[in-house]
Amino acid sequence: MIKSDVQLDAKGLACPMPIVKTKKAMNDLTEGQILEVQATDKGSTTDLKAWAKSVGHQYIGTREEDNVLLHYIRKSNDDNSYEKQFEQTITNEEVINRVANSGIILDVREEAEYAFGHIEGSKSIPMGELEDRLDELNHDEEIYVICRTGTRSDFAAQKLFKKGFTKVYNVLPGIGSWNGNLSKSMK
Amino acid sequence: MSNKVAIIASNGGLFDAYKVFNIATAAAATEKEVAIFFTFEGLNLIHKQAMQQLPMPKAREHFAEGFAKANVPSIPQLVEMAQDLGVKFIGCQMTMDVMGLTKDDFINGIEVGGAVTFLEFAKDASPTLTF
Repeated sequence: MIKSDVQLDAKGLACPMPIVKTKKAMNDLTEGQILEVQATDKGSTTDLKAWAKSVGHQYIGTREEDNVLLHYIRKSNDDNSYEKQFEQTITNEEVINRVANSGIILDVREEAEYAFGHIEGSKSIPMGELEDRLDELNHDEEIYVICRTGTRSDFAAQKLFKKGFTKVYNVLPGIGSWNGNLSKSMK
Repeated sequence: MSNKVAIIASNGGLFDAYKVFNIATAAAATEKEVAIFFTFEGLNLIHKQAMQQLPMPKAREHFAEGFAKANVPSIPQLVEMAQDLGVKFIGCQMTMDVMGLTKDDFINGIEVGGAVTFLEFAKDASPTLTF
């Protein structure tokens, strides 16, 4: 199971219906939420990928279960103008060396994004759950916060800092520009 | 990047209808502004009666089964969906005059215009497609 906020049943529908239904379903999501599109149209994988790119949403991935394709799309906007505020940062390249000695990588993306590709050994706590799961983190340890583009991790790093975690760093530019291998975790 | 897709529908068969309306609905669902110019036999695709039973190409009648099996929406359904998504339909005035048809012979919500009406829309569209 991969967690999603809204599920759309587009099984048995031929092109262009899965796209049309997805477009309509997307209107009911708020930014950052994840839509699961269930489809049997074999062309839907490439179509949804292209659709998301064109419209500006984030295509996360597709898996197959009992001959049904499950596509995951995260609602986003194209606004990259957000200015990051948290001052302690570290680059994608540096973080791997640092974490080999001590500290953890904290991935604050949604569970579905994490499932389709994450840094081996990193810990997943989606941004929305962070507040309630602070007890899973250690104050004495370096925490390298990462997301896709550095925006959510910026918010998370600020929040952690306010809660007394001082050895916090925002990893930039984030998983979206990751050059190394990423692991999947799916059943 | 252009956000408009302009389509010319000039043929009146069932296959033509699917090509036109599939591309149109897919484009509209991808947040493109879409207009279709219906001219000559293409007018069949939005004619109240004709659109209900558009002909298959000769010797291709056996595809009917495939359409049903693949659960492809009917043309009236696709038309409704296209309009719902904001696709603009323009009927060609000149062809309508030649064929003795008026706006009332067509589904609701169409515009009637001449070639320039379409060209004005299509001038900054990409792509422009002809079926």
